[in-house]
Amino acid sequence: MTAVTTYFSDVFKGLWTAMVGMSITLRYLFSKPVTEMYPDVKPKTPTRYRGIHVFEEEKCIGCYVCAKACPVDCIEIGVVRKGKEIKITKFDIDYQKCMFCDLCCEPCPAHCIHMGPEFEKASFTRRGTILQFATPKTLTEEEKKIEKIAKK
Amino acid sequence: MNELANFLPTVLSRSGLTVPSALIPVLAMFLCASIMAAFMGLSAAVLVWAERKLAGHFQCRLGPVYVGGKFGWLQSIADGIKLLLKEDIIPDQADRPLFRLAPYPVVIGVLLAFIAVPFSEKLMVTDFNIGVFFILAVLTVEVFGVILAGWASNNKWALLGAMRAAVQMVSYEIPMGLAILPVVVMAQSLSLKTIVAAQSGGALHWFVFQPPFFMAVSFLIFFIAGLASLKRAPFDLPEAESELTAGFHTEYSGMRFSFFFMAEYAGMLLVSAVASALYLGGWHGILPGQESVWWFLAKTGFLIFVMIWIRWTLPRLRIDQIVYVGWKVLTPFVLACVVGQSLWATLR
Amino acid sequence: MNSPGVTIDRDVKTDELVINMGPQHPSTHGVLRVILKTDGEICLDAQPEIGYLHRCAEKIAENLVYGQFVPYTDRMDYVSGMGCNLGYCLAVEQIAGIQAPLRAEYLRIIVTELNRIASHLLAFGTYGIDTGAITPFLYGFREREMILDLLEMLCGARLTYSYIRIGGVDGDVPPGFIDKLREFIDIFPGKIREYNKLLTFNHIFMKRTTGIGVLSPETAIAYGVTGPNLRGSGVRRDVRRDEPYSVYPKLEFDVPVGTTQHGGPLGDAWNRYYIRMKELEESTKILKQCVEQMPQGPIMAEKVGRVKPPAKTEGYMRSENARGELGFYVVSDGTMQPVRVKVRAPSFSNISVLPEIVRGQMLADVVAIIGSLDIVLGEIDR
Repeated sequence: MTAVTTYFSDVFKGLWTAMVGMSITLRYLFSKPVTEMYPDVKPKTPTRYRGIHVFEEEKCIGCYVCAKACPVDCIEIGVVRKGKEIKITKFDIDYQKCMFCDLCCEPCPAHCIHMGPEFEKASFTRRGTILQFATPKTLTEEEKKIEKIAKK
Repeated sequence: MNELANFLPTVLSRSGLTVPSALIPVLAMFLCASIMAAFMGLSAAVLVWAERKLAGHFQCRLGPVYVGGKFGWLQSIADGIKLLLKEDIIPDQADRPLFRLAPYPVVIGVLLAFIAVPFSEKLMVTDFNIGVFFILAVLTVEVFGVILAGWASNNKWALLGAMRAAVQMVSYEIPMGLAILPVVVMAQSLSLKTIVAAQSGGALHWFVFQPPFFMAVSFLIFFIAGLASLKRAPFDLPEAESELTAGFHTEYSGMRFSFFFMAEYAGMLLVSAVASALYLGGWHGILPGQESVWWFLAKTGFLIFVMIWIRWTLPRLRIDQIVYVGWKVLTPFVLACVVGQSLWATLR
Repeated sequence: MNSPGVTIDRDVKTDELVINMGPQHPSTHGVLRVILKTDGEICLDAQPEIGYLHRCAEKIAENLVYGQFVPYTDRMDYVSGMGCNLGYCLAVEQIAGIQAPLRAEYLRIIVTELNRIASHLLAFGTYGIDTGAITPFLYGFREREMILDLLEMLCGARLTYSYIRIGGVDGDVPPGFIDKLREFIDIFPGKIREYNKLLTFNHIFMKRTTGIGVLSPETAIAYGVTGPNLRGSGVRRDVRRDEPYSVYPKLEFDVPVGTTQHGGPLGDAWNRYYIRMKELEESTKILKQCVEQMPQGPIMAEKVGRVKPPAKTEGYMRSENARGELGFYVVSDGTMQPVRVKVRAPSFSNISVLPEIVRGQMLADVVAIIGSLDIVLGEIDR
C-alpha cells in the first residue's frame, strides 16, 4: 500500500470501526441492565455459600479440632467438662482474621459448624467484629476452675 | 436583549416601580446575564445527570437511582451540594493567586459564548453581526484557565495535562474555525441569526444536507474538533484519568473543581447548540414552516447524546495522534471543503 | 554585547522530569510504583518499585500444615485463585505421592479454565480503561459475573476459592451447575466476537497499542517472561502443552501466538492483548471438552488425611496460570509442615521486563504497556 491509500484507509477505518463500536453500545443502551439493586434486593446466595458461620451449640463436643484447623487462629473456644456433660462457654470467631476458607468446617467430628449464607457483618468497632456464638452462661465457681479456654 | 430593554419599562411601570431610563439597559443586561448563568448552571446539572444515566445504560447498569425518585433526577443537585460542602484545598506549594483565579476564565469563556447562541428567532441575548467569530474567539479563553490551573497546581500531572490542553487547543482551533467557513460562504454572513434564517424551509434546506455535501463533511469536522476543544473523550487527554490521574484539575477540590466540571458540560451544550445552528437548521423543524425553540433544543440534545455516546464507546487517542488527526486529517479535509464550497458558490 | 572575558550563565536548560507514578495511581493495577524519567511526554526510563503488598506468604507456609496453606495461595494471584490452588496442590501431591481421582482432575481443569477466562476478561476490561474506553470493562465484568456465579455455586466463594484441595477438590458439582456451564459455553463465543468488534479491532485502539512496547522473543526469554506475554512475542510455549499436567494431555486446544497480520510487529502491546482474547476462545473449547469427557467417580483421593510427605523430598511443579508459568517449589522434612515453599510468580518476571520495553515511548504508552503485561501485584509481592 502506498502512503496515500494508507492515509485514506486509516481515515475510513477510524470512522468505520468507531461506528461499529457505537452500534454495539447503542444496542446495549436499550437492553435490560444486568445489575442487582443490592441493598434493596438481597442477592440469593447459593447453598454452598461461605459466609458467616452457623454454629450448632448442642452438637458441639468442644474438641478444638476446628480451632486447630484454622490457618489464622481466629476461633476461641471455652469448654467446661464434667464427666460426660459438656458446656460450651465460649465460641468466638474473630472476623477480622477469618478468611472464610471453610477449613474449620471439614474436620468437625460432630458437624456442628457450617458456613452460613450471611455476609453482612460489618461493624464500627473492632470488638464488634468478634462474634460470640455460644449462648451466655453463668458459671459456678467450681465450673470456672475447670473451664478450659483454648485458642489452637 | 434589545427586546427585553424595550419590554422592561412596561413591566416596571405596571408593577409600579420607577426606574431611571438610563438604568433600563443595565437592568436588562443584568437580567440577561442572570438568566444565561442560571440556564448554564441548570443545563450543566441536567447534563451531568443525563451523562451518568446514559453511561449507566450504555454499560448495562442503571446509573443514579436513589436521589429524587426512581430515576435519580436530583443526583446532580446532591452532587452539587456535596461539592459545595467540601473543603477547598489549596496545596501548600501551589501558586495561590493563580490557583484561585484559574477556574474563572474557564467558566467565563463558556458563559460569554452563550450570548451569541440563537435559541430561536426571538430568544437570543444579542445578534452579533460576527456571532460565529465571537463564539470561537471567546471559547479560546477557556484554555487559559486550564493552563493556569495546571501551572499553578505545582503538580507534575497537572502540568502535563495543561501542556496537553495547550497542544490540543492549538491544533483544533484551526479546523474548527475553518469548518465554519463553508457555512459562512453559503449564508454570506457571520451572524448566527442570518445563518439559521438561511436554512428555513424544511430539513432539505439545512446546510448539512446541501449538495455537494462539503458542508456535511465540515459538520463532521466541526463536531470532532468541538469534542477536542471541549476535552471530551476520545480527546480527553488533558484530564486522562488512566494516565494523568485527573490531569489539570488533579489538585482542585470542592467548588473550584465543580467550576471546571460545569464548564465542560456547559461547553458541550454550547458546541452542540452552535453546531445545530450552523448546520442543522437551528430552530427550523423538519417540515417547512415549523419553527420553535424546541426544535433547536431537540437538535442540541441529540448532538449532546452523540457526544455522550462517543465518550462511552471509544478509547482515547495518544497526544501525537491527536496532533496528527488535527493537522493532517481534519485540516486538509476542511480546507478541501472550504475550497470546494467556495468554487461551488461562485460557479453556481 | 558579548564582551570577551565575560561568561554567560545560561539559566534556561531542559531537564528530565522525574514522575512518581503510583502506588496510588488509577492504572498501575494495584499498588505498583513506577518511577518515570520523562522528557516531556517521552519516557526515558521506568523503574518499577514493588513490595507494597508483601504479606510474607512464603514464610507463613513454613508455619502451617500443608493443607492450611491452600487459602493463602488464593491471595497471591487473587484474580485467578484457582490456578494458584492447582499449582500448589499439584506440587504437594507430587512430593507426597498422592493421585487425585479422574473426576477431580476434570473438575480442577474446569474451574481453572473458568478462572482463566475470568482473569482474561478482567485484563481485557482494565486494558480498555487504560486506553480510555470504559464500557468494555463493564461488558467484560458482565460475563465475568456469570463465571463468578458459577464458581460461587461450586465452592461458595467468589474470589478466594480454595476449592482445589490436596488430593482432590472441595465438593462435587451442585445440581444445575453443568447446565449453567453449558449455557455459558454457548453464549460466550458470541460475546468474544462482540469484544473484538468493540475494542480489539477499533482503529483508535489498534493505533494506540500496535507497535508500542515491543518485546523481542530473546528479551522475553532472557527475563523469564511467560504466559500470554511470551506468546505475544511469537514463542509457542505453554506448560499445558509442553509439560502437560492433570488431564491436559486428553484435551485438544491451540496455543495462540502473536501475529503480524493485523499490522503490528510481533510482541507489541496489541499482540499481548490479542493473545488473551484468543485464549478466551481456547479456554471455552477446553471447557466444552471437559464437560463432555468428565467421568463419574470420587472427587477426593482416599486416605489423604494429614499430608505428610517423606523426609528430604522436594518438588517443583509448574502450571500454566492465567498470567504465565506459576511454579511451586516445596521442600519437606518429613513433618506435617513444609520446610520451604517458594513461589515462582509469573507476574514478577513479567513486570521486570518493563524498563526494557518502555524506553522511548510516550507517557500514555507506559500505561498501555503496563496494562498489556497484565500484572497482579498480589502475586508479585506475595
